[in-house]
Amino acid sequence: VTANNTPPRPSIFSTLRRPNVPKPNDFIALFNDCIAVASSRTQEYLLFKDPEDKFHPSTEVLTQVFLMTYISQSVNLNMTDSFNCTAMTPEQRILLGADWVWAVLEKPTKNPQIQIAVQVLHLPDMQDAEENFPSEACSDSILIAQESSNKNMYERMVDFCTSIGKDCYALFLFFGKKNDKGNIYGVLSNNFEAAIGKCNKIDRALIENFFKVFLQREKEPYKPLYCKLTCVNGKRLNV
Amino acid sequence: MDLYGKMAATQDVKGKGEGGDQNFDYMFKLLIIGNSSVGKTSFLFRYADDAFTSAFVSTVGIDFKVKTVYKNDKRIKLQIWDTAGQERYRTITTAYYRGAMGFILMYDITNEESFGAVQDWSTQIKTYSWDNAQVVLAGNKCDMEEERVVSVDSGRLLAEQLGFEFFETSAKDNVNVKQTFERLVDLICDKMSESLDTDPAVTTGAPTAKLTDSAPPLQQPGCNC
Ligand SMILES: Nc1nc2c(ncn2[C@@H]2O[C@H](COP(=O)(O)OP(=O)(O)O)[C@@H](O)[C@H]2O)c(=O)[nH]1
Ligand SMILES: [Mg+2]
Repeated sequence: VTANNTPPRPSIFSTLRRPNVPKPNDFIALFNDCIAVASSRTQEYLLFKDPEDKFHPSTEVLTQVFLMTYISQSVNLNMTDSFNCTAMTPEQRILLGADWVWAVLEKPTKNPQIQIAVQVLHLPDMQDAEENFPSEACSDSILIAQESSNKNMYERMVDFCTSIGKDCYALFLFFGKKNDKGNIYGVLSNNFEAAIGKCNKIDRALIENFFKVFLQREKEPYKPLYCKLTCVNGKRLNV
Repeated sequence: MDLYGKMAATQDVKGKGEGGDQNFDYMFKLLIIGNSSVGKTSFLFRYADDAFTSAFVSTVGIDFKVKTVYKNDKRIKLQIWDTAGQERYRTITTAYYRGAMGFILMYDITNEESFGAVQDWSTQIKTYSWDNAQVVLAGNKCDMEEERVVSVDSGRLLAEQLGFEFFETSAKDNVNVKQTFERLVDLICDKMSESLDTDPAVTTGAPTAKLTDSAPPLQQPGCNC
């Protein structure tokens, strides 16, 4: 999901194709288009700095910019019947760890067939300035949602995807990385749960590590739809 | 019984956050279950926000809302969990059955299949929840009389067989929505007083006022539309 202005590369989502999905190319091309528009719009704000350094858009706002742009574009392109996007309620964001969920819909029933649960990760210094949980008002229901489990947000999303099965992917979407604050990257997998078994816990370092693997393999186009967890040796982790 | 003792104590659990309203006497966890598109989300939306939308947005996994009700001067906070009906969410939704004190099991009176699935949902309750959980069966969309395929009588009969209370409801026209929740709360309160009476250990330190001091209001199970 890199969204810099280099020549377009096949999206990692292109490998989500399933033979039984009718004309998958239709919506995959449209989907890529929506992602590209949403990413470049969001990028316009990622590096924003006002001369007086007083104005700090929240992580929430950046997520909303992405989502609003994506939704507008997908509605314009008339693709929501086959591929929809459901924004989570504030409670769901905490319960399930996802900001929104994309779904390939089965034609007559509109039931989800393949899903991608998305969690946005912001630059650590931005996120630290806020809280670990989304900065929704500390309402009753938000507290109840937080206390429903002792897992962190990454683990909640992985648990959610795992509970559905292999046709539910988790996508951690990085709005900027340490060495590249102005770009958007994503790590997509339907196998993060392997990390829980082997590494006990999922944290940002683990996901970023994944990401290194991802970038290395990127030379082979198409290949890394998702990286199988490489925590077998444990050496690459917690870098 | 043990659970009710614990529930009465839930009020001590919270500590953080200024906005969190800790001022309640009881916290009841309720679940709404049933096939996809029978109207679970709309039903909760109507009850909690008094709103209705005809657009169908399929619920992802699970969600909930909080609503506080009053009964005999007691504040009861309801945690109402809305579940997604599709099979793919079964693992996540059944995980939330545990600790639920009441269920609204919903079908759609215009959808035979959803009615046929009631038995299975009832089995799910028995499998994953606590024995004393109270259940109300709700035949929703009773505003759509022309498209009705499940009669009031067959709904009532099934409820009797399963030992559940029964209402026909409409989230759209706001028929029996509040009543369904109130009945469920009454049932839970009755059960709770019962267990407080029979188990003195629980009574120690538990609220003295019984929640069943007044008779529950009479209800019309049928749909008045
Ligand atoms: N006519 C009518 N439509 C309803 C009623 N309740 C829900 N609906 C519609 O039925 C569809 C599914 O409702 P929803 O609440 O999302 O169902 P859920 O999947 O069980 O949560 C939506 O289009 C609602 O607008 C009702 O009481 N009457
Ligand atoms: Mg729903």
